[in-house]
Amino acid sequence: MATVTIDNKQYEFEGRPLLLQFCTDRGIEIPHFCYHPSMSVPANCRQCLVKAGTPAVDRATRQPKLDEEGNPVIQYFPKLMTSCSMEITDGMVVHTHRSSELVERAQKDNLEFLLVNHPLDCPICDQAGHCPLQIQAYKYGPEGSRFEFEKVHKPKHIKLGPRVMLDGERCINCTRCTRFTAEVSGSHQLTIIERGVNNFPMTPPGVEFDEPYSMNVIDICPVGALTSIDFRFKARIWEMSSAPSITATNAKGSNCFYWVKNNEVLKITARQNTEVNDYWLPDEDREGYQRFNDDRPHGPSGKTDGGMRPMSWEESYAAAVDVLETADPARVLFVGSPHATVEDNYLLSKLAGHLGADTPVYLEHTVPGSGDNWLITDDKTPNASGCERLGFNAADVPLLRSKIQAGGYDVIYVLEDDPVSSGLFDSNVDAKVILHYYNTTNATLAAASVAFPAAMIVETVGTYVNVDGHAQRVRPAKAVKGVNRTLQMEMGKSRLDQHGTPFDKWYDETKLVDCKPGWEIIPEVAKGLGLELSYRGPKQIMEEVSTALPSFTGATYESMGLVGVRLSDTPTLV
Amino acid sequence: MEVAKQGTSKAGNWRDYERVLLPKVKNLHKLEVYEENGGYQALKAVLTEEKWTPKAVTDEVKASGLRGRGGAGFNAGLKWSFMPPVDDKPRYLCCNGDESEPGTFKDRQLLEYNPHLVIEGILIACYAMSITTCYLYIRGEFADWITHIEHELEKAYAKGYVGKNIMGTGFSTDVVIHKGAGAYICGEETSLMNSLEGKRAYPRIKPPFPAQKGCWNYPTTINNVETLACAPLIINKGAEWYSAIGAPTHPGPVLYGISGHVNRPGVYEFPTGMLITDLINEVAGGMRGGKKLKAVIPGGSSTPPLRADMIDGVTMDADSLRTAGSMMGTGGMLVLDETVDMVTWLKRVSHFYHHESCGQCTPCREGTGWLEDIVGRIDRGEGNVRDLDLLADLCTQMEGRTVCALADAAAWPVRYTIERFRDEFVAKCKPTLTPAGSPLTVDA
Ligand SMILES: Cc1cc2nc3c(=O)[nH]c(=O)nc-3n(C[C@H](O)[C@H](O)[C@H](O)COP(=O)(O)O)c2cc1C
Ligand code: SF4
Ligand code: SF4
Ligand code: FES
Repeated sequence: MATVTIDNKQYEFEGRPLLLQFCTDRGIEIPHFCYHPSMSVPANCRQCLVKAGTPAVDRATRQPKLDEEGNPVIQYFPKLMTSCSMEITDGMVVHTHRSSELVERAQKDNLEFLLVNHPLDCPICDQAGHCPLQIQAYKYGPEGSRFEFEKVHKPKHIKLGPRVMLDGERCINCTRCTRFTAEVSGSHQLTIIERGVNNFPMTPPGVEFDEPYSMNVIDICPVGALTSIDFRFKARIWEMSSAPSITATNAKGSNCFYWVKNNEVLKITARQNTEVNDYWLPDEDREGYQRFNDDRPHGPSGKTDGGMRPMSWEESYAAAVDVLETADPARVLFVGSPHATVEDNYLLSKLAGHLGADTPVYLEHTVPGSGDNWLITDDKTPNASGCERLGFNAADVPLLRSKIQAGGYDVIYVLEDDPVSSGLFDSNVDAKVILHYYNTTNATLAAASVAFPAAMIVETVGTYVNVDGHAQRVRPAKAVKGVNRTLQMEMGKSRLDQHGTPFDKWYDETKLVDCKPGWEIIPEVAKGLGLELSYRGPKQIMEEVSTALPSFTGATYESMGLVGVRLSDTPTLV
Repeated sequence: MEVAKQGTSKAGNWRDYERVLLPKVKNLHKLEVYEENGGYQALKAVLTEEKWTPKAVTDEVKASGLRGRGGAGFNAGLKWSFMPPVDDKPRYLCCNGDESEPGTFKDRQLLEYNPHLVIEGILIACYAMSITTCYLYIRGEFADWITHIEHELEKAYAKGYVGKNIMGTGFSTDVVIHKGAGAYICGEETSLMNSLEGKRAYPRIKPPFPAQKGCWNYPTTINNVETLACAPLIINKGAEWYSAIGAPTHPGPVLYGISGHVNRPGVYEFPTGMLITDLINEVAGGMRGGKKLKAVIPGGSSTPPLRADMIDGVTMDADSLRTAGSMMGTGGMLVLDETVDMVTWLKRVSHFYHHESCGQCTPCREGTGWLEDIVGRIDRGEGNVRDLDLLADLCTQMEGRTVCALADAAAWPVRYTIERFRDEFVAKCKPTLTPAGSPLTVDA
């Protein structure tokens, strides 16, 4: 097999990989800025220089030249090469800064240049702490600067569009942002203007940078030149924890990080998953994080003679048991949820089965025509596919509504949804409603007999199946009130302090939402009805689902890991 | 006249030289006049005569030893031979008339006085490489010359020399004139292609080379105006005739654009390999006002300046100039007399490259401005002697580390002007402070 020698160590390779990508894949770090694996390679930052050579060939014999010891003679390229743009060929010899002083020097030199006109306003820059320029300047840059002149001034705090702010002076002209709009999103809304040291990205005259994917340039900008208008100055990166999870805005389940400070989600950024969303997130996935923080309920409530009143969790379970215990199973409607995890829906269906009620249905939330065949789908929920695979059917809302209106049901059990807003029934419905809900703005609350505050995607552990049949796990990004060992274990121990625990310097009791995940609530209700759903947590539930249901074969927590698994297209079976 | 000490002229009997690129013919720019003087006969020959297969034309140009006149001096026929075999995909020729290097003004002369020679050269090159479209990219500021050559091109179209079925031979080629986008960098060949495509004129990385992926990603050859103008001469008079003119390793007639402190600045056609001293003292009529020569910049502002004492016996061809410590470049020769402050001169040159860097690569974008800052500070009398070391460092940090050669073009004048005129720079720096009483202290 073809080989390449990097810093005196041999590696095998196939095809014609680019050197920088090849090294990155093997953990051999080479500093760089402009290269991005899913865009064209302009080799303009000049940071990734290496020394490289190929075996010399004798012109006459066309055979490789050998030295006295029979080793191939290496003919080095006269100039240092940009590793991002150089294809590896057989027998190539490469020296990075680890084995060449010249390369080490060249990388220092380049960083010196990068910093001469950079404002160095790290103390007030959002990017500080996770800035490729800052990090690489520390690691590979020179000490101090020899530049003694006034820096170039360029436009600052320019709103490129509704969501993205530009600081021209921080820009290092890597063209990642302009290439993103030209090659990835195709909007062509950004271009570099001016010339030379005055260059910076800008929209064409009369154009706003308002494409539905605009905020990705904030993620890929290697400096703090592009920042989020919404997030600017809200928190330093080191004050936040980040949880790798997925978004719940639509059925794509794009991979993301939830950034949390003092138990509030402050921003959502893209996380790489080549099977799902590459490196990108639509803006709509990043916005709307406020619903995780605002209008959250404080503990369960239930209807008594005097109307709705707060209850303890035990009281609320008993109230739900009360309602279900006496009901005729044929007159109990279970409404599953495309917002809820597979695990929660599965437990709901077990409860329905135990009582002898029909399989749950679920409510669709689609906006036809709003999808774009990329990362935005018509379906605005993350788990309709999971519901289908559990054998749930989408509710025929008009039909079911008339049945409810005709008094066809005595009890309606709703998992994490808002059927009143969906028009399934009205708030004065003549049936008892048990509701798991997220926000106090939920219109069905007015109809509820028992209301359980439910943990949202950022507070639970569970599985979602996206529109393409990709099963993925979610992880808690923020803590809930009360002790739940499973949630705490999943949260990532190293940064526990930043979730707002009592040890945290920003600890604020009021920011902890008193809610519970479905997989904690449903077993409590089931127990009162004589059904033991004693799982050690959602992981074990999913083990059962993946063995019991062919449509979930292989979807264990181990195999889903951080990037999920593609489920087979077996027809739903129940 | 000064006598050559180290070398002798390679230009032979140049005083009797008869001009071929810009012959002494009145109104030659007019198609009728060009035709009367044997115009378009070379084209007719290659299109009609059996022996002129495309490969034979390329081989003839290769054999002539013609080297590119755009700056890099690459063998033109060899470049043509890099074009891949013909298939059904488009391929392009770009004729580079962006002419923007300070001190260079010879392509404009050709476009004004002998435009049909350029057009004929383009057509021959297109035939040799089986190309059906040529873009003639002319510096935007040459507005008048663009109108002028457009007019002549129309006439050539009307007469059937350009366009469909040229001279009834079945060979077709279009020539499209493109007005440059107003930046020096547009003359860099890959930047020129981006500019043509309507993109920002950022040079492209190589590989892939233009012959593999050029305009719109199709095989493309780029040649300078003067380079292509040589093609009809080579066809008419043969490779042997051409290669016998001037310096053997860098042959042919060449347009010397002489400017600066000489009595008769201008564009002069002579063989390559002329002694610099002959060019200054005879061709350009000697130094203006009888002043002493201080420096010669042989081929445009990016080529390293030669001190007056470095030019004896040096001839205008790649080999001799390399030995002397400079380059042929575009043949645009700047002559500076003793009144010139080399620091101020360098400040002006540095300003140019700072102003013209496209800003794509870090070392060039940041380095060109920094060079100008420091040279400017020295020029104002506020520099320190240590700045000279810093300048040399910055040049090292720029040279050979960028996408295109503009960074080198910016660094070389700095490096070599300081190296060769160091005293002038030191004299302009702030005095180095030494403690009173030190043996180094100079009494005021
Ligand atoms: C910064 C820069 C500017 C250039 N400008 C010109 C120009 O104005 N005209 C030109 O013919 N070549 C120019 N060149 C050289 C071209 O890149 C290219 O080498 C030339 O056009 C090839 O033609 P030739 O082989 O016939 O010389 C420039 C090169 C650089 C690096
Ligand atoms: S704004 Fe950021 S991403 Fe865009 S060119 Fe500048 S540094 Fe690169
Ligand atoms: S060297 Fe300078 S002019 Fe050339 S591509 Fe790089 S920045 Fe642009
Ligand atoms: S990563 Fe920017 S030049 Fe290679």
